[in-house]
This record gives sequence, C-alpha cells and structure tokens, in this order.
Amino acid sequence: MRASRFSLLALVSALASIVAGCEQSAQLPMTTLAPKSDLGEAIHHLFLEVTAWDALIFVIVIVAFTLAVFVFSTRAGEAAPPSQASSDLTLEVAWTVGPALVLLMISIPTVRTIFRSQPEVAPKGSLEIKVVAHQWWWEFDYPDGHKTANEMHIPTGQPIRLRLESADIIHSFWVPALGGKRDVVPGQINHLTFIANTPGDYPGQCAEFCGLSHANMRFRVFVQTPDDFAMWQKEQLAGPATPLPNDQLAVQGAQYFATSPCTACHTVEGVSKGYIGPNLTHFGSRTTLAAGVLKNDPADVAAWITDPQKIKPGAYMPALVLPGPKLNALVAYLESLK
Amino acid sequence: MAAQPKPLPIFQPNYLEGGGLLGWLTTIDHKRIAVLYMATALVFMAIGGIEAMLIRVQLWEPNNTFLSAGTYNELFTMHGTTMIFLVVMPLLIGFFGNFMIPLHIGARDVAFPRLNALSFWMALVAGITLHLGWIRGGLPDAGWFGYANLTERYFSPTLALDWWVVGLLISGTSTILSAVNFLTTIITMRAPGMSYMRIPMFMWAMMITSILILLAFPPLTVGLIFLLLDRFFGTHFYVATAGATPILWQHLFWLFGHPEVYVMALPGFGIISEVLPAFSRKPLFGYPMMAYSIVLIAFLSYGVWGHHMFATGMGPVADSAFAITSMLIAIPTGIKVFSWIATVWGGSLRMTTAFYFALAMVLEFTIGGLSGVMHASAPVDLQQTDSYFVVAHFHYVLFGGVMFAILAGFYYWWPKVTGRLFSESIGKWHFWLTVIGFNVTFFPMHFLGMWGMPRRIYTYAPDLGWTGLNQLETVGAFVLGVAFLLFYINIYWSLRYGEKAPADPWDGRSLEWSVASPPPVYNFALLPNVRGRDAWWILKYGRAGSRGVAAYVAGQPPKPPEPEAPVDLSHVHMPPPSIFPLVVSLGVGLMGLGLIVGWYRIILIGGIVTIMSIIGMGFEYKDYGQAVHDPEHAPSSGGIDVRKVGVWCFLGSECVFFASLISTFIVYKSRSIGAPGAEILEIPLTSFSTFILLMSSLLMVLALAATQRGDKVWERIWLAGTVFFGLIFLSGQAYEFTHFYHEGMGYTTNLFSQSFYTLVGFHGAHVAIGVLWLSVLLVAAITGRLGKSRALSIELAGLYWHFVDVVWIVIFTLVYLMQTVHGA
Repeated sequence: MRASRFSLLALVSALASIVAGCEQSAQLPMTTLAPKSDLGEAIHHLFLEVTAWDALIFVIVIVAFTLAVFVFSTRAGEAAPPSQASSDLTLEVAWTVGPALVLLMISIPTVRTIFRSQPEVAPKGSLEIKVVAHQWWWEFDYPDGHKTANEMHIPTGQPIRLRLESADIIHSFWVPALGGKRDVVPGQINHLTFIANTPGDYPGQCAEFCGLSHANMRFRVFVQTPDDFAMWQKEQLAGPATPLPNDQLAVQGAQYFATSPCTACHTVEGVSKGYIGPNLTHFGSRTTLAAGVLKNDPADVAAWITDPQKIKPGAYMPALVLPGPKLNALVAYLESLK
Repeated sequence: MAAQPKPLPIFQPNYLEGGGLLGWLTTIDHKRIAVLYMATALVFMAIGGIEAMLIRVQLWEPNNTFLSAGTYNELFTMHGTTMIFLVVMPLLIGFFGNFMIPLHIGARDVAFPRLNALSFWMALVAGITLHLGWIRGGLPDAGWFGYANLTERYFSPTLALDWWVVGLLISGTSTILSAVNFLTTIITMRAPGMSYMRIPMFMWAMMITSILILLAFPPLTVGLIFLLLDRFFGTHFYVATAGATPILWQHLFWLFGHPEVYVMALPGFGIISEVLPAFSRKPLFGYPMMAYSIVLIAFLSYGVWGHHMFATGMGPVADSAFAITSMLIAIPTGIKVFSWIATVWGGSLRMTTAFYFALAMVLEFTIGGLSGVMHASAPVDLQQTDSYFVVAHFHYVLFGGVMFAILAGFYYWWPKVTGRLFSESIGKWHFWLTVIGFNVTFFPMHFLGMWGMPRRIYTYAPDLGWTGLNQLETVGAFVLGVAFLLFYINIYWSLRYGEKAPADPWDGRSLEWSVASPPPVYNFALLPNVRGRDAWWILKYGRAGSRGVAAYVAGQPPKPPEPEAPVDLSHVHMPPPSIFPLVVSLGVGLMGLGLIVGWYRIILIGGIVTIMSIIGMGFEYKDYGQAVHDPEHAPSSGGIDVRKVGVWCFLGSECVFFASLISTFIVYKSRSIGAPGAEILEIPLTSFSTFILLMSSLLMVLALAATQRGDKVWERIWLAGTVFFGLIFLSGQAYEFTHFYHEGMGYTTNLFSQSFYTLVGFHGAHVAIGVLWLSVLLVAAITGRLGKSRALSIELAGLYWHFVDVVWIVIFTLVYLMQTVHGA
C-alpha cells in the first residue's frame, strides 16, 4: 500500500513537474504550484497528497469502467442473455470501506494543516500589517505608521501577520504564491499568517466578487531580503519628496495639487489629509497604478486622471478634465513623490 | 388480477390531443404540465447557453472590450441563475419528475393536480420576473449566489437585484409546492404491491429530493426575505455598521445551496440508475445500497454548507468539522459510481444515444467528484475556491454529471413523452460533440485555476499566461454550442419526421413502458398489481426473467401479457381542468411587479386576484382530492390520507423556516447596538397570551372530537372558542407591538427590534391565517356543511393550528423566557 502510494506520488509529481515546466516557459506569475511561503508550501504538499489519492481512485474507476463496457459485456443480440445478478456483498463492502480508508488518510493531514495554518495569536516577532480592502483597491497600513496602496512590501524569513479589514463589502485577499485566500469581511477581522521565503514580485488579486470592477482589484506583493525591506521602510517613513527647484514642472504641479480637488480624497503627508482614496505620499515609488491595472508612467497616470472610469468601470474617483500643461505638471509632481 | 392492459382506444387516445390552447392553459394533467416545464426550460436553456458563449467570447483575449464590465457581470449572474433555477431544476423535477412519478409508481396523476399546475405557472412567472430587468433596471448582476452586503441598496441601487429577489422567492415557493406534491404522491399513491423497496431508483431520488427541497429552501426564503426587507424597508440584516454580519447571508444561502447541489444531482443519479439497467438488460446493481446512499447523501448534505465558506475565517474547529463531513459524502457517492459500473458489467449492451450519455456521465461525474474531494480539504480549498478550478469542478458535477443525465433522460424517455423516436444518428453526433466540447471547455479550467485565475473577472492582464487556455476553452464552448444546436434540431426532426414509437421501444423495466406512447390521459386503465422490482420486466418475462430474455435474444420480441378481460373504463375518473392555478400565479406576479416598480395599486390588484382565486379554487370542485384515486383500491398506499400527508410535508418545511428566523434572532439579539433590547419584553402579558393560545389548542381538540362523534352543537361551540382565543392572542400581540412602538422600538431601530418584529410578526401572520381558516370552517359548520364525513377538514386545520402553537411555545421560551434568565 505504502509503496503504491509513493509510486503514485512520484507519478503525480512527474505530471506536476511537466505542468511546472510548461509554466516556466509560459510565465505564470500567479500560479499556485510554485509556492513561495511556508503556508503555500504546506497547502501545496497537501494538494499533491490529495491529488495522488484521487489519481489512484480515478485509475481504479477507469479500469473498472473499461473492463465493464469493453471486455466483460456483450452487445445486444450477440450472445447469451446477461446474468440477472444484482448484488454482491463482498464487493459492496469493499467499495464502501476502501474509499472510507482513503478519506481517513486525507483527513488526518487536512486537519493537521488547518490547525497549523491558523494560529490564534500572532507568532513571536511577526510583522503585523493592516490590510484594508476598498472597492476597488487595497490599503496597507504598517505598524510604524506609514501607509501604502496596492503594493505591499514584506521581508523574507519574518512571520507576517495580516489583519484584514473591509471598508465597504466583502473582498478576498489572494496572493497565489504566498498561500490561500482569506476573505475580507466588513464588521469582522480576519487574519492570514505566513513566512515568505523567496524574494520576488508576486501579483495578487481580489478573489471574491465585489461589484463592477472586481476584475480590476489587483495588487502586488514585493518580498524583499530583510536588508532591502529595512531600506524601503526607511524611505517610506521619510516625508514626501519635495520637488527639486530646478524641476519647474513638478513645482507647478505641487502648487496645483495643494489646491486641487485631489486633496479631498488623497493624503500626501504634510500637504493633504484626504482618506477616501489611496495615500499618495510615496506614489512615485510604486510600480503600478489603479490597483495594479496600469504601469506607473506619466502617460498612464495622465490617462487615469483624465478618465478613471474608462480604465476601471465604476471607480469612485471623478474624472478631472485639465488643460494639457496643468495635467503634465500634476503628473510630474505625482511622479516626483518617490 | 395480473392483467397488464395494452393501450386501449377510449375517450382520449393520448394526453397530448384535444383541448386546444385553453386546454393547455387550464391543464392539470401531470404529463401536460411536464411538457410545459420542458418547453419553457428548453427556451431558458438556449438563453443560458448563449449567455455562456458571450462570456467565453469576452474571455478570448486579455483586455477584451467585447463586453462591458457591467454586461459581463449580468451575464454570469444570469447564466448561473438561469441554469440552476430555470433549466436544471425544471427539467429534473418539473419535467422528468412530473412525467415519471405517477407512471413509475402506477398512479393516474399526482396527489394534488391543481397544486401541480400552480407550481408550473409560478415557475414561469418567476422565470419571466428574473428577466424583466431587460425592460427596467438592468439584469441582476451580483452573482447567482448574491453575496450580501454587495446586494444592499447602497451598493446595488438599481432595480436589478429587486427582480432577482422577487423572482427567486416566487421560484422557491413554486419548488416547495412541487416537493409537497411529489413527496405526498410517492408516499400515498403507489400501486398495490409497490413497496418502497420496489419503486424504481428514480423514485427514491425524487422522494429524497423532495425532502431536501422541503428542508433546504426555507433558509433561502428567509435569507431573501431579509434582503427584501433591507432593500425596501430599511432594516439592516446584512449591514455591518448596525452590528449585523453579511456572513449571515452566506450561512442561510449555503444551508440551502449545498443541499441544492444534491437537489440537482440526486434526480440525475436516479435517471442514470434507470438508463444503465435498461440498456444493459440487467437489474440495477445493489438496489438497497443505492437507495440508502441517496438517503445518506441527503442527510450529510445538511452538514457541509461551511465548505463553501472556508475562506471566510470560521476558525480551525469549524473548518475541520466541515472538511470531514464533506469528505464523508464521497463514500455514498463512490458506492453509486461503483454500483453503476457493476450494473453494466456482464450486461448485454444496447449502444443507444441514451446509453452513451449515461456511460459518459459516470466518468465525467467521477472527475467532478474527485476534484470535490480536493475542495473538502480546507487548506487546499483556500487556493482553489473562487478560482477557475472551482468553475471546472462544479461544471464537471452539474454539466458532466447532471446535464449528461438530463440528456440521457431525454433520449430515454422522449419516445414515451412524444410518441416519436429521436434520430439516433443526429443523437450520436450530438453526443460526441457534447463530450468533446464539454471537456475542451472545462478541463483546462482546472489548470487556469491552479495558475491563479479568479472567477467572475471580465478581463485579465496579458502577462499572466492565461490567454492560450482561455482561447482553447472558447473554442470548446462553441463546439458545445453546435452540439446543443444539434439537440434542438433533433427535437424538431423527431417531432416532424420521427418514427412513431412503440409502447416499449427499449424493452424497458419499469411501468411507464407498459402503457402507450404517448400515454393515455389516465395513464393506467387498470392500476397495475406489482409483484417485484422492475415491475414491467417481471410482467413480461416472469420473475427470473432469463427464459424470456433467451427468447428475446433468439429474435422473438416479448409478448406483453394480454388483459384477461376487456377493461371497463367507466370507473376511471379524472379531475376537470382549472384556470385558477394560472390566475393565482398572475396575481402573485402582479404583487411582485407592483412592489418592485413601486406601483402600490398593482400590489393591491395582485393581492385581490390571488386571494379571490385561491378562494375560488376552494369552491371549484369538491372532489379534487379524491378524483384521481381508483375507488377499487385503498385511498392511500401509506395508510394515511393524502391531504394529511401533504399538510405534514408542508409543516416540515415550515419548521425549518421558523428555525432560520429563530436562529437569526438569537444571533442578532447579542449583536444589537443600543436600546431597546430584551428588557422591553413583558413576561406577564405574554405568559397570559401564551396560555390563551395553548387553551385554543385544547378547544381545537375538543372541536375535532365533537365532529368525529357527530355532535353538531359542540362542534360549533368549540370551533368558535378556538377562533375567539386565536383573536385574543392576536389582539395581545397587536397591543404589545403598539406598546413597544410607543416606547421607541421602531421596526428598524436596531438588530434586536428588526429580528424580533420579523420573527414574531411571521408567527402572528401564521396565527392570522389559522384564524381565517378556522373561521371558514366555522361558517361551514354553522351552515351545516361539515359533519362526521368531513371531519378530516377540521383535522387538517387542527394540525396546522397545533403546529403554530408549538412554534409559539418555542418562541416564548427562547425569545421571552431565556432572555430574562441571561439578561438579569
């Protein structure tokens, strides 16, 4: 039994590695099959185990089915009348008890993994980040007070404890490389705990249908070495960059921003205190825009400001129709907020 | 007595002929109603299929702009809602169930023929209501699962979801009525000798499915009522800022939703369990285990709803419990798969299209079942839930399992229903294209899910590696589209040119093959006398069967037994048609329409139409209840009167309805914010009205006793007393509500007030209906229309009345008494 189990595991992992091979050539940044955290690995291991048992049962069913239909039966009118037998106690007991044993084998590691992956309290030394889901973007609040949107940075090797809260309706936090989903439910605080083990840039996405732009509620997680992470955090804790005096455009943009309607919803530390939209203090340091939908470059920023609903249907940010020079100045200022 | 008549030419050759359009609008014949269900479901299936193909076109490439985000959301919502509520359930329960139940158990019709027609017309009204968003407000767009609190008016301000809520409420009511009807039919109207262990396996499936519906639909009804109240009357059942939790919806919805999966799967299993034996020329393997596994699946299906909610953060204990119960379901399901294979093993196979579909179902369904085991493992599910992996899984179950079974059923029973054969060659093309299209569409979804593609996204980025498989799936979807086009062509071809079907084209095993194709209106001229499982097979070949089969193999078709004497049809008495079911449904539809568009006069008109036509139904024809029974046999195979069983079934469903309301109250009273709370409740007053209500039950018993012994004076006195006490209780409640209102407890003040008023209010409405019912009986008693022979009328009202009292005792204990203990 054990030997067959291992050979099946081998078979399945062979299949999985073929799939993984395709995956590398095809570039699958959101795959669940190449976990990069302890949680992801635990789930993946369990997945392979269950898949192996499933494969065993499927092979048995296929073999039995093939024998029944193509070997141990005749076609109408061909031969003697079929047997009218309609029960066999041994067989019936076997196909009741057999699957029950298989399920027992699956349920033990399942329950073990459930309890291991949901610690009631944060592990020692963990970095606790508050994640607030909004229609349709993500806010990440770090314990030392700085906030970012749609791009979360975490260090490798340190336990991460996400505290998931919703500002409006139910969303679901999902970074396939880092482990399973956890719903973000209004009026309820959920947690997700894991340790990332490989630096990289992992895309995530809201996984619970949340209205018009559900498909556009994406984000990225940057897993960094502890040193890189510390450096990033230091930059974030500093105030917003003020435009260099020789950057005329950005200086104009800064002046315009301070009196613009943008300030009603967006915070730039020391400049504005809006809280409905993402915090823009270090906007220029982000790689993406509009919850991972656009690249953070001047053309895309301008396109976003001019018509957010075109890029993200239903977005709550109003379109801002600006004359060209003003728009360019605003974009230059935003991009300068490194 | 063993006479099994061959079809007899009498007053109406078959059920399809005669009557004209009005005949179809007023029909209460289960076979015609079945055909109506089929026709509407086929229309909705075309709509749902086109919706699916539009979805696939949109996903052809990244950042596609073929559909807008809003349209895409409408399409996947309507695809799911349509396929589940307007296609699969109507086909399985409304069409196959309706057509086959009386024929399978040897009855002339269902227990309540007019109720049956009412179910259909309400289902049609529901289907139309769900699509009225085309005209105003837009189509529903929050998913077939409609998760709160996205569905609140604040986040979904248009009328779209109003159509959805009202449509589903009507559809649910129609389904519950069908379930009451079918369960009662199978319990009480089995032919002589048709014991439970002799009914065809499809009947086991329909019987258990009916029980599932009765116990699973009330939580959905309650969930929808809360949503309706939130959207129209300003309550906060799913609003977190008021202390409520949107997760309540998920519990109520999946408490319905998972049994609902088996409401669709079990009849499918039943069909496969008919088709495989018929074309293998062998009895179903392991009949008792097959029956028990259906029961076990149904039982377990109530304990697994949480596996839809592993990601919501229920905690490790609940996760583990739901994981294990979910896995347990694999055991009875495995029994079914292995028994089907064993049924085919050693058979003499006749490779028809129906058999092809049934065989394919066994394999496709197995794939869906095995991926289901993966989801049962909660941690694995956290990666798979809400991804395309789940889309693959449930399409393997609902399409590969259920839709393949439906198609097998179509090819198997079509000759019986229409009297025509399908084209086998179009059928084979239909089959192979379906198998190829289905697998090409849905198998790659497993990989897309594992590669991280979430469900319900109208667009995706180009750099995620999802494009290739999405294009493959879209191609598959169009192959599937062609396959279904062939199916519709085959239907047309068969009706137009198809060969006329003999009574028993497949050399079948169950009783439907003993009557003509299509069957006469009354099904059986003489009710059959059943001597074993596979009743018709035994009549044809004798108990052992093999000698007759040998003759058949040698080329001599079996000779159906001749009736011993010409059958006298004068005793066959079928109930007359009725227009009221259609009118009631129209009234209900008008009420829904008026509520949604805010024309309150229309609600009023709809209400009057509904109530008047229900009363009209009551006085229409007094013998509806007995009409379909054959006087030469006992009135009920279960030994209990048909109407009594019907009321019991209904009350069973009501228990779950009140349980859902009471649980909500208990959860929400502790989450309620601010005053007033439980301290407002007045125990002395309520104790008094509780006492009065209990006394009214005693009077009810006395009234029934008086009727049974023929005492007309005391019958009237006790009935009047019951009504009077009921009125006192209602007045007490009215006083209590006004008093609370003046104390500042409005309906929407807080969670406590809204769940209290809703629970106690629904109970009060039940008491009011009881008082009305008893008043009608009182009038009948005074005018001398009751009496010993109609004691059952009083008994039925009494059953209901006692039930309402028992519910009150539970409410009084849990809401009033336990409150003071804890609140001290």
